[in-house]
Amino acid sequence: MSTDKKPLSATARAVGERIGSLRDFIEFLEENGQCITWTNEIMPEPDVRNIAVAAGRDSMNGPAVIFNNIAGYPGKKLVLGVHGSFTNLALLLGHPKGTTIKELFYDIISRWGDDKPLLDFIEPEAAPVNENRLTDNFNLYDLLPLYRINEYDGGFYIGKANVVSRDPRDPDNFGKQNVGIYRIQVQAPGEFTLLSIPAHDMGRHIMAAEQEGVPLKISVMLGNHPAMCMFAATPVGYEESEFAYASQMMGSPLRLTKSGNGMDILADSEMIIEAELMNGVRTFEGPFGEFPGSYSGVRKIPRFKVTAISHRNDPIFENIYIGRGWTEHDTLIGLNTSAPIYAQLIKDFPEVVAVNALYQHGLTGVISVKNRFAGFAKSVAMRALGTPHGTMYLKNLIMVDDDVDPFDLNEVMWALSTRTRADDTIVIPNMPLIPIDPGAEVAGKGHRLIIDATSFMPPDKLGSDSKIVTPPAGPEIDEIAKVIQLLQNGVNS
Amino acid sequence: MSTCPRCQAAEEKIRVEHKGLNAQGELVWTIFHCNACEFTWRDSEPAISIDYDTREAFFRVDPEKPYPVIMPPAQYK
Ligand SMILES: [Zn+2]
Repeated sequence: MSTDKKPLSATARAVGERIGSLRDFIEFLEENGQCITWTNEIMPEPDVRNIAVAAGRDSMNGPAVIFNNIAGYPGKKLVLGVHGSFTNLALLLGHPKGTTIKELFYDIISRWGDDKPLLDFIEPEAAPVNENRLTDNFNLYDLLPLYRINEYDGGFYIGKANVVSRDPRDPDNFGKQNVGIYRIQVQAPGEFTLLSIPAHDMGRHIMAAEQEGVPLKISVMLGNHPAMCMFAATPVGYEESEFAYASQMMGSPLRLTKSGNGMDILADSEMIIEAELMNGVRTFEGPFGEFPGSYSGVRKIPRFKVTAISHRNDPIFENIYIGRGWTEHDTLIGLNTSAPIYAQLIKDFPEVVAVNALYQHGLTGVISVKNRFAGFAKSVAMRALGTPHGTMYLKNLIMVDDDVDPFDLNEVMWALSTRTRADDTIVIPNMPLIPIDPGAEVAGKGHRLIIDATSFMPPDKLGSDSKIVTPPAGPEIDEIAKVIQLLQNGVNS
Repeated sequence: MSTCPRCQAAEEKIRVEHKGLNAQGELVWTIFHCNACEFTWRDSEPAISIDYDTREAFFRVDPEKPYPVIMPPAQYK
């Protein structure tokens, strides 16, 4: 899938070329005042979660935080919040601070696709991730500064791993190689559980391996190129490559190499944990504070055994705070959740202007559309519910006109206040819904709500005698707003 | 070390996973794991996470009870 491309700006190209790894991006964030280092000694619990939550309060401008003085982990480094604010994403895409979410949305849309992948393959011996290689006596508790993310989690979680797996029935197929973010709970020094469900690519691979009695090998990539994390969390087609999407978004090659167990991996990641499924084993996992802001319960899930570990010198452990929103999870996946829904909708409905599916992975979405005729927005809403992501996630949909920025909640609330009739809402009962929704009466099933907050059109007479005030708007006003912000921050423009 | 903070399993079901040392090699904390309910904890954590009586009862686990199994392997047989 791809959208209409615009050439990248010179700045965006330069940033793409400069950032080849997590380390490069951290350095770039530091230069731009978007990454701080917490040097005071802290305890793993509760200090890490306390500081992560405080730093993440500002979803527009919050910084990443490096911890380099964790008691009991001398010399170890942890980083959180790398994707914790929209400004951090703006910098990654070569934009200045103050870039709006809507501008980022359109930029990501214009880069969206996998038709022009930029992938360089290098020999494993030349890959920085192979600077150190362990083949026995694994101890994840020692290698990584692990900690409990939320106070009732069942253990210590790795929440931002990008996991590579291949279809065990078709292991030579690059397209059927999947990169996904799956939560990992460390269960022993050299073993962990990984949560997937049958609908996920990884779930399919696990079931295939156990059905056929063949080994399932995976490579867990930690501390990755920041674009990789964004696409590992993006629902792309089963035969599409997340590596291809990530490289195309950056407009610059990603360096890949082969892991010891045959997966394609990022050559510049901080650590690769190679592991193998323990066929037929299921282990207690959870609870874990998840993105809807509630704990998912205790379950018995598949377990993996570490077979080898590669890591850079002084590896940086990158993790995420996740829980009741807003959190880094929302910033990490929000725009990449919105973009494919938009790309799928405009194929049939070019009147769609923008899609905001930022909230709880799209449990609530706002779609801006130019009404072709009365009731048109409802037809678009129905189509959105039929997109791959919409089928399981879009629980509440708010439809607004093309003059409303769906990313600006003040504008959305204005549309709700002035353009909604109570009988312009639709409830569709008993639809499929992700099991994790805490509002579900039965897990896996729920009702959908469509609120049509678009204006009335003929033949509907309602509202025909009111005229909307036209305040100054457009690029000129946006520019003035940015100047005002700079003046307020004491920067001479 | 005593019983599991989550399921109250006895001491013999609990194993030491890792000891965290400071730069001088002195013990800072110890990580434990319960073989009965698979809970992992560090002895330096706040009571809300590691003290059975302080923890909300909602989060207790009884390993003898049935819990949902993700992709039950039995389905292939
Ligand atoms: Zn226990």
